[in-house]
Amino acid sequence: MTDVHLPEQFRDLQPFLAWSLATGSERSARRQASTMADIEAFYHALLPRLDAVLSFLAAYPDEDDLPADVRRLFHLALALAEVAPAVENYGQPSVVDGYDVARFVVAREPASGRCARRR
Amino acid sequence: MATVPAPAALRWTERYPEIGTGPLPVEPYISPEYFALERERIFRKVWLNVGRVEQIPESGDYFVKDLFICGTSIIVVRGKDGEVSAFHNMCGHRGNQLVWDEQGSCRAFTCKFHGWVYSLDGALRHVTDEGNFFDLDRASLAMTPVAVDTWEGFIFVNVDPQPDESLQDYLGAELRASIAGYPFAEFSSDYVSWYTDINANWKVAHDAFAEIYHIPTLHRRIIADVYSSKGNPWANALEFALYGRHSRVSLSANPAWQQTPVEALAARYGSAVLQQVNSGANAFPPGVNPTGYPHWSFDGIQVFPNCLIYVSNGTYLTHIFWPLAVDRCRWEIRNYAPPAKNLAGRFSREYGKCSFRDTLLEDGSTLERTQRMLMSGVKKTIVLQDQELVLRHRHKVAESYLHG
Repeated sequence: MTDVHLPEQFRDLQPFLAWSLATGSERSARRQASTMADIEAFYHALLPRLDAVLSFLAAYPDEDDLPADVRRLFHLALALAEVAPAVENYGQPSVVDGYDVARFVVAREPASGRCARRR
Repeated sequence: MATVPAPAALRWTERYPEIGTGPLPVEPYISPEYFALERERIFRKVWLNVGRVEQIPESGDYFVKDLFICGTSIIVVRGKDGEVSAFHNMCGHRGNQLVWDEQGSCRAFTCKFHGWVYSLDGALRHVTDEGNFFDLDRASLAMTPVAVDTWEGFIFVNVDPQPDESLQDYLGAELRASIAGYPFAEFSSDYVSWYTDINANWKVAHDAFAEIYHIPTLHRRIIADVYSSKGNPWANALEFALYGRHSRVSLSANPAWQQTPVEALAARYGSAVLQQVNSGANAFPPGVNPTGYPHWSFDGIQVFPNCLIYVSNGTYLTHIFWPLAVDRCRWEIRNYAPPAKNLAGRFSREYGKCSFRDTLLEDGSTLERTQRMLMSGVKKTIVLQDQELVLRHRHKVAESYLHG
């Protein structure tokens, strides 16, 4: 059986696992393709738990050799970073009157761990 | 509440009478002839920022840069001696582009066409089936060098075969002193980067990031209150300084800035949130935050012609604008910060990345619309207020190159 769980203490966030996407491009695309209702449901479920989530993630120095459930939680938290401006600043998925995000070519994402140290 | 010190009797622009106070012509943004002059007399003559030394930490590391406006592609490489060199990306045989990757690491450059091999110092080391050539002079077929030098870890090139002056002289003592000691290297091992090709003149894009006047309006939804305060509603600058061709502006932050819920948590778990208000502003060398203002936000350095460097506490960013055509440019953005200490810090970095990107999308919204209307020819001039003097100065410097 495939394990698709979050760490034990964060199982309440399990319904939002579809937001746990590995790359910034995927997370951005999901934000742009979602309704505001879906984004807000995710935001309001995770925000009250965010302090606990970050406190938990702070114990891991980098992404190297990360257990699968922790990696899922990490990517879920990164998705909140992606959608936060939609809720907190714009009231809609995309930037109001914004330049097309699809025309912004991602040349480099932030790195963690070994990648950051190498280059 | 702290307020920005009142300017002296003269406004900033009036302290530099040589740049004037009148309207600017629209022509430089829309004229193909003006664009051709910029290419020949500016971009093919001056030092251009193409990257950072951290991109090529080891001997044999290289990156390739397309210098569209100069009509060439270059290879920037760290040689066996540890020094940074640059070459036109061209094989001496029949002209094929030598390296096709954007970056990499190698012991030698091998042409994919006929297998000629060049050392990291550009020397032609091996010619396939050499016996079938006629009087081949390997020395004359070496890779063609491009003038290169570094400043504060930024790599600059100059495609003029014999540059008029060194990079250090081009930048000038005042600009170099203004930022000396800022910990660029400490922040430069990690960065996020985007680029986008915009249907706008490169100066339309450049100018949008060379003034703060737009922030309270265009960015009212996301970062306006980081800068606008009760005492300084239009986010007027703390100081402007013109350094020959280049310039610097220093900006305050709003002491009463209210963070959003996610922003506040990001700030608590990491130090790389772009909009942080910098209370520790006096920890930097004297040239940074030159007025010693306690609620400093960042200093913006304009390196003529196409580079902006914004330094703040814990992070810095660069905008570089590459002309592609009179009405088209490539806008490159990089935001540098120290690597996150742990995965919570990595979340903070991600929030900083996303909110910064969304702010940039607001900036991007005006550029093509501005270009379209400038090209309508309806108005022949634009006007600038005092806080937009960096644009006025940039125009004046360009004029001195084109018609000097």
